[in-house]
Formats: sequence, structure tokens, C-alpha cells
Amino acid sequence: MQLSRMGFVFAVIALATIVSFVQAEEIEFLDVEKSKLKLGFIKLTDCAPIVIAKEKGFFSDEGLQVEVVAQPNWKTLLDNVVSGNLDGAHMLSGQPIAATIGYGTKAHVVTAYTMDLNGNGITVSNSIWREMQKANPELNSPHPPHPIKADALLPIVEEKLALGEKLQMGMVFPTSTHNYELRYWLAASGINPGMYTEADPAGGRVDAMVELSVTPPPMMPATLEAGNIQGYCVGEPWNQQGVAKGIGVPVVTNYDIWKNNPEKVFGVSKEWADKNPHTHIGVVKALIRAGRWLDETDSSGKLVNREEAARLLSRPNYVGADYDVIRNSMTGYFYFQKSDKREMPDFNVFYKYNCTYPWYSDGIWFLTQMRRWGQIPHTKTEAWYHETVKDIYQPKVYLTAAKMLVDEGKIKKDEIPWDTDGYKSPTSDFIDGITFDAHDPIGYLNSHKIGNKDP
Amino acid sequence: MKYTLLKIIHVTGLSFLEPIVRLCYWEDPALQLKKIGQFIVVPLIAVLFCIGAWSWIGPQLKTKSGAVPTPGIVADAFGGVMQFFYRENTKEDDYVLTGEARQKQLGEVEKRLAELATFKEQVDAKVAETEKSREAFWKENVAPFEEELAKKSEELIAKEKQALEKVKEKASAITDTSPADARQEIVEGIAVYDALKKADEEILKAYQERANDAAGKVYKPYQSALKAQTKVVEEILFLEKRKELLTASNRETKVDEVKTELNSLEEQFATASGVKMLGLANRIVKTQERIETVERSSYAKPWTLPAQTLRSLACVFTGFVLASIIAVPIGILCGLSSTFMAAMTPFIALFKPVSPIVWLPIALIIVGGLIPDPENHWLLNAVEENWFIGWLKINPAFIASAVTVALCSLWPTLVNTALGVASIDKDHLNVARVLRLGFTRRLVSIVIPSAMPLIFAGMRISLGVGWMVLIAAELLASSEGIGKFVWDMFNNGSSVTFAQMFVVMFVVGIIGFMLDRIMIILQRLVSFDGATAAI
Repeated sequence: MQLSRMGFVFAVIALATIVSFVQAEEIEFLDVEKSKLKLGFIKLTDCAPIVIAKEKGFFSDEGLQVEVVAQPNWKTLLDNVVSGNLDGAHMLSGQPIAATIGYGTKAHVVTAYTMDLNGNGITVSNSIWREMQKANPELNSPHPPHPIKADALLPIVEEKLALGEKLQMGMVFPTSTHNYELRYWLAASGINPGMYTEADPAGGRVDAMVELSVTPPPMMPATLEAGNIQGYCVGEPWNQQGVAKGIGVPVVTNYDIWKNNPEKVFGVSKEWADKNPHTHIGVVKALIRAGRWLDETDSSGKLVNREEAARLLSRPNYVGADYDVIRNSMTGYFYFQKSDKREMPDFNVFYKYNCTYPWYSDGIWFLTQMRRWGQIPHTKTEAWYHETVKDIYQPKVYLTAAKMLVDEGKIKKDEIPWDTDGYKSPTSDFIDGITFDAHDPIGYLNSHKIGNKDP
Repeated sequence: MKYTLLKIIHVTGLSFLEPIVRLCYWEDPALQLKKIGQFIVVPLIAVLFCIGAWSWIGPQLKTKSGAVPTPGIVADAFGGVMQFFYRENTKEDDYVLTGEARQKQLGEVEKRLAELATFKEQVDAKVAETEKSREAFWKENVAPFEEELAKKSEELIAKEKQALEKVKEKASAITDTSPADARQEIVEGIAVYDALKKADEEILKAYQERANDAAGKVYKPYQSALKAQTKVVEEILFLEKRKELLTASNRETKVDEVKTELNSLEEQFATASGVKMLGLANRIVKTQERIETVERSSYAKPWTLPAQTLRSLACVFTGFVLASIIAVPIGILCGLSSTFMAAMTPFIALFKPVSPIVWLPIALIIVGGLIPDPENHWLLNAVEENWFIGWLKINPAFIASAVTVALCSLWPTLVNTALGVASIDKDHLNVARVLRLGFTRRLVSIVIPSAMPLIFAGMRISLGVGWMVLIAAELLASSEGIGKFVWDMFNNGSSVTFAQMFVVMFVVGIIGFMLDRIMIILQRLVSFDGATAAI
């Protein structure tokens, strides 16, 4: 009897290792270790799930009283999460990864929830836009064909280089999605955005044809206007603000650079997650419901809750920008020029396409980009990529939370990808059409023309 | 009575009130009226004139973030800040309401919501209507400029291209045998092309500016409709949240929920047997604990400007006390011994000019190092439990800001104390020597009392410096307070941001003024000779 039971346990363990599906944990009841939480965010529209979970009472349903605190910049936000001043925060996808592998602030940070897809844009100044129009006459129209590649920017960059100048562009943080997207867009057209090397580990300007520098999101339009940079890559509402103020033209959104790319995650320190497992699940439960609420549509496919979300976000203690500015991109439209308003229903995705699941493949993409641009200075094995993301992304917590929500009747069973190994299927929805298969990070790394390559 | 009043006025340094008091007692009325005219009427006129000039000039100065706000807009912004404060307080109260009071509030909320439903229809209709007419307005007033810009840009690009083509043609016509001036022509051609490009850029800029100006024109009916809508919708959202806090999310309801859960667990437990009991018992214990936590819980309220202001005051006070504790003893020692003074001079000279922006990161790192785990630090926990200052939520950022304030503001006190002690009347010291007073006695009875006026003069400057430094420190440390409010609102970049900065300006100014007055009063109270203080 005893023996057969042992045998059964072994069999289960063996099975679990063969089939690498992540399974939800069985939890009888949620016993939150900590009921008063402080969550940090940066004033960007994609902090919405946290704000909604608080305002619509989803946190409170899990027995959590949550204070939502604005942070001045990404560095402080991460430091506060690591030091314990914050319990968790709205983070750039690259931040938990970079922190865990020790690029910048070193600390083990994990995530069990992806907050949204897309939501960024690249804006160039009016004069660069005119130069681009000269280089590519097709752009010289009130409704130019999209997506716009950086090909039109190449002659301008080359001309500047010949004169000994470099085009200056802004992004928000070295490990931000914006940095990798801007680099991807430039490199796809043969413009080298510069490498991070041991001589220049933080600037990433070695061999650069275009110089990228860090500017906090809210300062982008002002910096562009002052002429310190000629273009930037940033999240909303700062591209729309460039249009509204007439100082720049958004040329491309990250939806065009990589369709449905992961943007922000909800990050907590590993230490905190280990100490407060049930609280972590409770927070993720509330966030899943918030994401679902944000993406709710009526029968005609119209997003029904976005206007209310824009109202809530426009409160001064949250994003605080004017309601009509936030509404612009939240409700499925994007202004490329004042005369060029386009429908972009997927500009902000909070729940569709299983986006809230913490995909290993997302983490691998960021790791390949960090290696590509030299933020990871040395060659890594394929196994390292897979192991590293498994240290950071925690689908188990997510699935446990989702399972509880299904049991409570708050979400439907078919809304969650239960039987996945955590890797999205290969995709070539990139602006340059290169296929990304997360199972083969090295192969993907080597498929790019510009950037580090590994054997 | 009269002399008491005059004394109070004198001590508080509010000397402009003096003629009023004297006038009340009919003391040389002509002179008093003249003084009232000079010290009350003239400043009042100046203030009124400034407000007038401000409301007139403000709207003329246009920036990319809107025109400079008029006094009316600033007052509105202040109203908005206070409304936020009031609403958050109401929510906090609602969360803990129980029994009948809760039902009564709920009834009121529901009544108001029903009222607002009709309003909402009206404002929505108004917005939809003006949205349409706004499109017409845009077509008429903005679109022509945009089109003009696009057309001009196309035209100029074509022209530039032509110019470039010409040069290219010439260049391809050149052979080995072409004369040198033909080559020179190409250089000239490029120079002309370059100049053309630059000139076009200037022309387009002008067009762009005109288009921007046109687009910057607001269609007032739409704006006011939107504003009315915002007001109604915000109130509805607020009331709905209140409703939630009065019903499903209310503390009482939550406690009841957990209690029901406990009851059902206890019932199960009563009939359970064997190993299963352990699990149930565990859940019962946990649920009992949870009842306690829920009973103690409160609504997680965001910081509001009034609360932030109080926290800033607490922070500046902490820093100021810290600075005084450091500066006064060192200052006394410096004053007593010229050797010690000589030893300290390099440090004073070196550290005095260091900016708060440098001190703050140092303070943050050191405080962060001393308190590696703020969650479980004994001091922070003890402070949090304290009913009097628990609401301040003292954290490492607060301490670092206070330390920065102390480091920046201790110098005036230190230097003044040293000066005060060094300039004690030699006769006093001689008397002490004759009486063979011990060091402590001499310090307490002679040195400190006679240096007191100067020490306080130094402290007054220190407090002023500290208050100025604090705002910057809070902003950088993102420690809740006025500085954080400034930075958050600036980052919002909304249409009221500009006006909110003016609100803060007045708040900071008024509080700074009051702190200064308090220090003047203290200074006067400790001076024997009632030394006058400058305004």
C-alpha cells in the first residue's frame, strides 16, 4: 500500500517533467498574508489594469486595500520594488529580466502577469518628417501608406554622418521596450543604432549611426521641441501630445514594428513573492479581472468600458492628462497627423489574444534583444535563455489565479490558455518579416543583419 | 489693553497693524491715518494692481501648454484640489460607516445619482451636438491652414528637386576635358541648392506656426460642453464608488462576509471527523485572524494636497530640529574656542555651498543602507503604530529628505551661534571668572542666554532655507509632500497643470511666511533688548 502510493507519486513527478505544461496549483482558499499594499506606476495609459482593479473594487474583493503611488521614473520604481517600499509595480517588460540577469540594478524580480500589448509610437520632428517626405515622395500626402519604414530616414542619417553629425533620438530607459523597438525599426532599414559594449555599458553608442538617449516619457515633447532630439519612441499619451502641440509627426506605432508585442508587466521581487504567495495570487486575480473589464466589448465589437477607463485615468493621482487626450488612443484611434486619424482597435490590448498570460516566449525575445545589442556582453547557450525566463515568468501563479476566477464564475474557462508550454507559436509579424521562434533564440539572434551574433 | 495689543504686534512683527490700534484709541489720528495709508492702503493697492495686471497679461502670454492662468482659473484649480481632498475623505469615511448611518448615506447617494442621470443625458446631447459643429469649425478655421501647409510643402519639395536635378545634369555632362569653371559651377549649384533648402525650411516653419496657431484655437462651445460633461460624469463616478463603498466593499459587509464563512466552517467542523478536521481547524484559525485584519482595515486613500502639506511641515520640522541639534553645540564650541573654530572652518567652507541636489542622493543611499528592510524596521514600525504621527507614513524617503534639509540648513545656525558666542560681552565672562563658575554653569547662565538672540536669528534663516530645500528634496526623493505634488502635477501635463503650479506657489509662500513669523516671535521672546528683526 505504502509502496504503491510512492510509486504513484513518482509517476506523477515523472509525468510532470516530461509534459512541460504548467499546472495551476490547487488552493482551497486565499489567505492573503498582507492586506495593505502599495503598488507603483508610471504615468502612462497602460497602467490602466492597476487603476481599474482599484477603482472597480477588484482588489477589495480579494481582501486587499491597495494604495496606488505614482513614481517619478523607471529607475526609482524598480529600486522601490527591490527595497520593499513598494509591494509591486507596473514595469517595463525588460526590467524584471534585466534586474534578474544583473544588467543595471541587480535583484531577482519576477512577473506573473503581462499588463498589455502594443501602445507605443515613434515620433519625429516636423523638419525630419519633411526630409523623409523628400526622400520618399509617397509619404508626401495627408494619408501616407503605412507602415512607414526607416528607409526614408536612412538618407538623412547618412547625410548627417557625412557632415560629422548624428541624428539624436530619445527613448525612455535602456531596458525599455521602446529602446528595443526603436533599435529594431532603425536596424530593419540598415541604420545601426549603436552597441552596448564594456567601454560603453550604459550608453549603447558604439558604432552608432543614430544616437539614442534616455528621456523620461513626460519630458519627450518638450525635449523634441527644444531641439535636443529629433525623434523619440514613447508610450501614450506622449505621441498624441506631439501631434496636438504640432511639434512632431508619429511615423510608426509598435503595432507595425511587431504586431501584438508585449509591453508592460506587473513585477514583484522574488523575495516578496516567496513571502506572500497568496497575496500575489490575489493581486493577479484582481488584475486579470481588470484586464477583462478593459477589453469588454458589446455585440458590435465596440470597447464599452474604455471611456470610463479614460475618465478614471485622467484623475490627477493617476495618469492625470486631460480626458480627451487619453481617450484618443484608448478608444481605438490614433492620430498620425492632425488630418490623419486612423482606426487602431488593437492599439491598446489588455485581455484579448491571451495577452495577460506571462509568456516565456516574450521573455526570450527581450533576452535576444539584450544579447543583440550587447547589454548581455557574452555568448549564452540556448539552455540559458530557457532557464532564465523560467526564473522570471511565473505562469503557475497566473494559472492558479485564473483557475480560482473560473471557479468563482468571474471569467470563462476558454479565456485562458491552460494547455500551453508557455511559448507562443512562431511569428513573422515584424516590420522586416523575420520569423521569431522562441524555441530557437540563437537562430533568431543570428537572423538579424545588425547586432551581435552567437555560434 | 492698548499696550498689550501693541506688545503683541511688536513681538509678532506685524507692525502695519499698529496704526489701527492707535487709531482705535484716538491717538494722533492724523498721523495714524497717514500711516494706515502708507502701510496698509498702498500695499493693498499694489496687490490689487498686480492681480489686475496678472489677469490682463496672463491670457496674452501663450505657451505650448496653454495661456498663463488668470486668478480665476487658479482659484478654480484650487477648488479642484480641495474637491479631490473632500471626495477622498468622504470615501474613507464611507468605508468604515456602519448600520443606520450607512443606510442614510446610501439613500442620499442613490437620490443624487437618480438626479444626475437626467443631467447626464443633457450634457451628453450637448457634447454630441457641439462635436458636430466643431467639425464645421475645424473645416473652416483650421483645415485651410493645414492644406496650405501641405500644398506649400509639396511645391517647395518639387522646386528643390528640380534644382538638384539641374545640378545633377550638369555634373553628368562633365567629362575629363571640361574646364575648371564648369566644375566650379557645380559647387555653386550645390551651394544654391543648400541655401534654397534652408530658405524653404524657414518658409515652411512660418506656415507650420500659422497652422499650429489655428489648431490651437479652441472651439469654445465644445470645450464648455465637455467641461460640463466632465463635471457630471466625475460626480457620477464618485457617487458610484461611494455606493460600492457603502455596500459591497464596505467594511461592515466584509466583516459579515467573513463571519458567515466562519460560521459555515464551524458547522462543517462540528460534523467533521478524522484528518479532515485539521484542515478545517486551520481554516477556522485563519478566518478568525482575517476577521481581525478586516476589522482593522481602512480605505487606501491617495495623498491629497492638504495631507501632503502637513507631511512637508513635519519633514521640515524634523530636518530643522536635526540641524539645530547639530549646529548649536558645534557653534557654541566654535565661539568658545578659536582653535576649534579653526579646525572646523575647512568643513564649513567646503560643505556650506553644496547643493541639496547633491546631498539628497547621498542621504538616500545612506538611509537606504541603514534601513535595508523598511517593512520590518523597528523604528519605522514603532512610528507607524504611534497614533499621533502614524499617518505620516514615515519611510526612508522621508528621513532622507529631512536629513537633506538638515544638511543644507544647519550652516546659518552654526555660523550665527559661533558669532553670538564669540561676541559675548567680555565683562560678563570676567564676572563669571571672578565668581569662579564652572564650565557648565558658565555655559548655561551666561554663554547661551547672551547668544540666544543670534542663535535664533540663525535658526530663522535655517528654517527659511530648509523650507525652500525641502520642496526640491521631496521632488527628487519622491517623498510624499508638496514637492511630490508639484512633480506629479507637472508630469500630468493636463490643462490645469499650469494653474496648479500657481496654487502651490501660494501655498508654499503663505506657509513660508508663517514659519518665518513664528521664528520672529520666538526670536523676540528670547531677546532681552527686543532686537528688531528685518521683514
